[in-house]
Amino acid sequence: MTPTALDGAPQRTTGQRALRLLRDPVVLAALIAILLVVVGGVLKPGFAAPDQIVNMLRVASFLGIIAIGQTIVVLSGGEGIDLSVGVTATLGAILASRTMNGSDALLVPGVLLAIGVAALIGLANGLGIVLLRIPPFVMTLGMLGVVSGLVLVVTGGVADGRAAPALVQLVNGRDVLGIPGILLVWAVLAVLVTLMLRRTSFGAQLYAVGSSREAARLSGVPVGRTVVSAYVLSSVFAALGGIAMVGYSQQVFLSLADDLTLPSIAAVIIGGTLVSGGVGGYLGSAIGAIVLTVLTSLLTTLNMPEWARIVVQGVVLIALLAVYGRQRRLRA
Amino acid sequence: MTETKAAPTRERAPITARIARVRVASWATAALLVVAVVLAIALQPSLLSPYGIASTFATFLPLVLVAVAQAVVVIGGGLDLSAGAIVALSSVVAVQVMQGSDDRALLGFAVAIGTGLACGLVNGLIVSRLRLQPLIATFATASVFSGLALLVLPTPGGTVPAVLTGTFRQAVAGVPVSVLLVVAVALGWLVVRQLRIMRHIRATGGGPAAAFASLVPVAGAQLASYAFSGIVCGLAGLAVLGNAGSGDPFIGGDLALNSVAAVVIGGVALRGGIGSPIGAIAGAITLALASTILFAIGLPTSWRALASGLVVILALALSALGAPRRQR
Amino acid sequence: MTETSPLVRLSGVRKRYGGVRALQGASLTAASGEVHGLLGPNGSGKSTLGKVLAGSVRPDAATIEIDGEPVRIGSPRAAARLGIAAVYQQLSLIPDLSVEDNLVLGQEPGRAGFLSRREARRRARPVLERLAPALGEVHAEQPVRELAPGQQQLIEIGKALLRQPRILLLDEATASLHRDQVAVVFEITRELRDAGACILFVSHRLDEITDLCDRATILRSGETVAATAVAGIEPDEIVRLMVGDVQAVERDHGARPTGPVRLAVRGLVGGALRGVDLEARAGEIVGLGGLQGQGQSELLLALFGATSSTGEVAIDGDPVRLASPRSAAARGIALVPGDRGSQGTLPPRPIQENLTITSLRARSRAGLLSGARERAAAQSMVEALAIKIGELGDPVSSLSGGNAQKVVFGKWLLTEPVVVLLDDPTKGVDVGAKAEIYRIIRRLADAGATVIINSSEDRELVTVCDRVLVMFEGAIHAELVGDEITEERLVQAALRIGEGAQRRSGAEEAA
Repeated sequence: MTPTALDGAPQRTTGQRALRLLRDPVVLAALIAILLVVVGGVLKPGFAAPDQIVNMLRVASFLGIIAIGQTIVVLSGGEGIDLSVGVTATLGAILASRTMNGSDALLVPGVLLAIGVAALIGLANGLGIVLLRIPPFVMTLGMLGVVSGLVLVVTGGVADGRAAPALVQLVNGRDVLGIPGILLVWAVLAVLVTLMLRRTSFGAQLYAVGSSREAARLSGVPVGRTVVSAYVLSSVFAALGGIAMVGYSQQVFLSLADDLTLPSIAAVIIGGTLVSGGVGGYLGSAIGAIVLTVLTSLLTTLNMPEWARIVVQGVVLIALLAVYGRQRRLRA
Repeated sequence: MTETKAAPTRERAPITARIARVRVASWATAALLVVAVVLAIALQPSLLSPYGIASTFATFLPLVLVAVAQAVVVIGGGLDLSAGAIVALSSVVAVQVMQGSDDRALLGFAVAIGTGLACGLVNGLIVSRLRLQPLIATFATASVFSGLALLVLPTPGGTVPAVLTGTFRQAVAGVPVSVLLVVAVALGWLVVRQLRIMRHIRATGGGPAAAFASLVPVAGAQLASYAFSGIVCGLAGLAVLGNAGSGDPFIGGDLALNSVAAVVIGGVALRGGIGSPIGAIAGAITLALASTILFAIGLPTSWRALASGLVVILALALSALGAPRRQR
Repeated sequence: MTETSPLVRLSGVRKRYGGVRALQGASLTAASGEVHGLLGPNGSGKSTLGKVLAGSVRPDAATIEIDGEPVRIGSPRAAARLGIAAVYQQLSLIPDLSVEDNLVLGQEPGRAGFLSRREARRRARPVLERLAPALGEVHAEQPVRELAPGQQQLIEIGKALLRQPRILLLDEATASLHRDQVAVVFEITRELRDAGACILFVSHRLDEITDLCDRATILRSGETVAATAVAGIEPDEIVRLMVGDVQAVERDHGARPTGPVRLAVRGLVGGALRGVDLEARAGEIVGLGGLQGQGQSELLLALFGATSSTGEVAIDGDPVRLASPRSAAARGIALVPGDRGSQGTLPPRPIQENLTITSLRARSRAGLLSGARERAAAQSMVEALAIKIGELGDPVSSLSGGNAQKVVFGKWLLTEPVVVLLDDPTKGVDVGAKAEIYRIIRRLADAGATVIINSSEDRELVTVCDRVLVMFEGAIHAELVGDEITEERLVQAALRIGEGAQRRSGAEEAA
């Protein structure tokens, strides 16, 4: 909440401009990302090497794509959150890889199947939340259970299927000017999503619904439809993120992306999107995904055990919430 | 303010009126429980054998305890997604402290409860003092607690003192200890409920602004609800150990979801202020029996998780439909 | 003055909300053993003054003395320590706790952290018994949720009585009570007074003030204009003090509009509405008057499709089904809602988005928006309404109340509405912006729109309306046309209807 002058915009000094810029969560997140890379480079030579950075960005892209949907859901307000993105990503990855099973010809059908199923999951989430008025966290937590059950049914407890070579090449190759194609895909998605948020009726209505359901309703915004769409998009992007992950690992696991739910929320919060909804955007979340990935690699590079990484993740999220997400006091 | 001629207000409503006032939710909870019990017994008569009862209740106990913990937090207007992680952490800490020695069982007991309390206080302070949204805050602390559990016990293992696992399988005067423990939890609540702070927790959940205006220490009540929840989760950690006979840092996985589901099935409103842990206990038993039933009807293993997921979401949807909606 | 030092003395109390001065140097002196009325028209600051004493509003400046000792009252808790208790129309009950538990809430008796049910009952019983003639059939164990609004209000009063206050503030605490219930509360109030307490009594109902109060302080526009003994003063004199020197408010009206009937409403029922009939012509500004909370806001929300209601509504002779705000907006209806913060604006969003949100469809192509077109539309409204802003990208929450309200007007003007519903459009708006908003309203009507306006300020209705409908308990009870619309007539109409109907409904209830 940067205070803004009421009476015309007076000349701001350079210092004030810099300060204003620093208070922008997106800028702050980007600075943190750079700082982490520099610190890593100092502690472990080679950490900041171009190859290493490209690799970290590649890993960040999976989380980044999943965080698109999480961003949209959090923006939609009403305590919006999607706790089922991790398992939905896993399911999407499993469906796609079983369908394509190492064949490029079946890549597209595999992706479409995954997106279709994910859209249904998101639709169920959205309808439960809007029509039955189940709180988002309960609905998506319940969906988490259902989808992990689905994963077992689909696989029979044994994950099989292989990623199509084209997909592997997209993620692991470095075809486009020496960088992996998946980064290009991520960048294009980021631009498209940002345009959707800023330059479409849906985007405007999403922000309106997120900042005040009641005011949006009284402005003639179709609140229910907008919220349902948000959850559908969330599941679809989760599935896409899961598919990208299969390209990276080439094999699926039963819990491939399950642990990405918490990081996806953390990325959204690092990016400055308010948990109360209506304020924020995707660029911040994308940078948030990079921050988290760099942080994890740094901890790994420093030979931190797994437990420390999990703890740090939680602590980072609480610290960020304390900065951005405080609730109002009872007394004014 | 005396000398009034008007008829004094009757203090106890006639019994018929009081029965009429029992909320539909508790009827629904009771009905679900009865259906689950009947189905489970019909499908698997061996449940009624002394051994069946003892082992069934032993498996119920952790969820029953976590449901009670969750219920108190939810009644206070909060939420604890870290309940499962607290159970895992306090159980592995206790395992490491006890090292399988009966002499240290009591120490392990205290340590488990202490760990739970500490976790609860962390949650409570974050929610009441930092004023963070309980949902994401406890989701984050869950990560912290499970990370710590991995630190304490990196892989499943360790031995639980025989006295703990043994007691769990014994019977007193023909009644299995596990049954007694579930009953004790319910009776314990009837005592705890008389605490002044519980009244304040309920008032805080029922209307924070109104409670504040009525001079209820709202922040203190929130803190207390999480602290209580932590202690009970610590006890649940011990119940897990008694069941399993060894420690497991990953044990908490489904407990958070299932406790929320148990609470909702038990007629506790997620918006706070309404319901009772007794309902949550019934909800927990219903849920646990549901998976027993799914097992008994011979569902293929790979379908069981999906079926129980659907049962949970169906129960949530039904409760949401039945619950009174907040007036606009 | 009495020989003893007064129990309560407030002076120089100032409080601003944004650009609005709610209190500008108000004062109040009340002694123990007296019932002291606080009087003033809507928005005169009497409630705010009471809340300063009760610790729930922090004043910008104030000197408060209790028993001659200067004190600071920073919170309701601090007020309670000084023996001050307050009862408002807005209840602070926990719906799912029992009557008895609510009565002792925040001061539950007990030992070692455990509640003592018996002791709670011992304390609650005398209060319940005292209230029994008004409460009727109420059980101590019954959840408060099951009680009628009037009974809940009585429990709220009981809560304050249980604290045995030296100073008791009753702020519109009798508004939802029936006459016989009010009589019981008055009886209790007098007993308290005779026992040496000081009761501050805020009410809209003049007859209640003259009936109960010993002295009264009269406020107007945040200032204390008189403190007087109540006995022997004529009601008309009090009205005159409340309204001020009867200077005619400027009415800048031409001839009464004689256009075709634009909006016709028959038998509108739902929520607080109990059968509303009205007709309004194109170009006409129709006001909704009466005491606050008689269904004015509900009527506007129902006409906008925001709350469900049944009845016939027609625009230009065509029947309209008011299913949702979305469909109402599609029929050319616009609503400037009563709560700007939660209903009117999207506080964290930019001014531009707030202005364009209602009319996106008209400018979008296949759902895509053009940045330039959006900016142009927003800019046109900023200029047309002279909204003072920094940049179009600034959040609307950075604007003053008046400018934020102009944004709400602007977003609807972009839809070119034919029926404009205004719910208290100048609440919390400073004087300069008020005049501009009146001009906007007038321009709307001149352009042929029908305007229905509810206002908490009678003066506003006098200024802008061609016709005023006085509402009471969800229906229209009187109509003032043209030069009949004066502040005095409005106050009288509101109070007179109140008295008559009050008795009637009280009798119905008893039957």
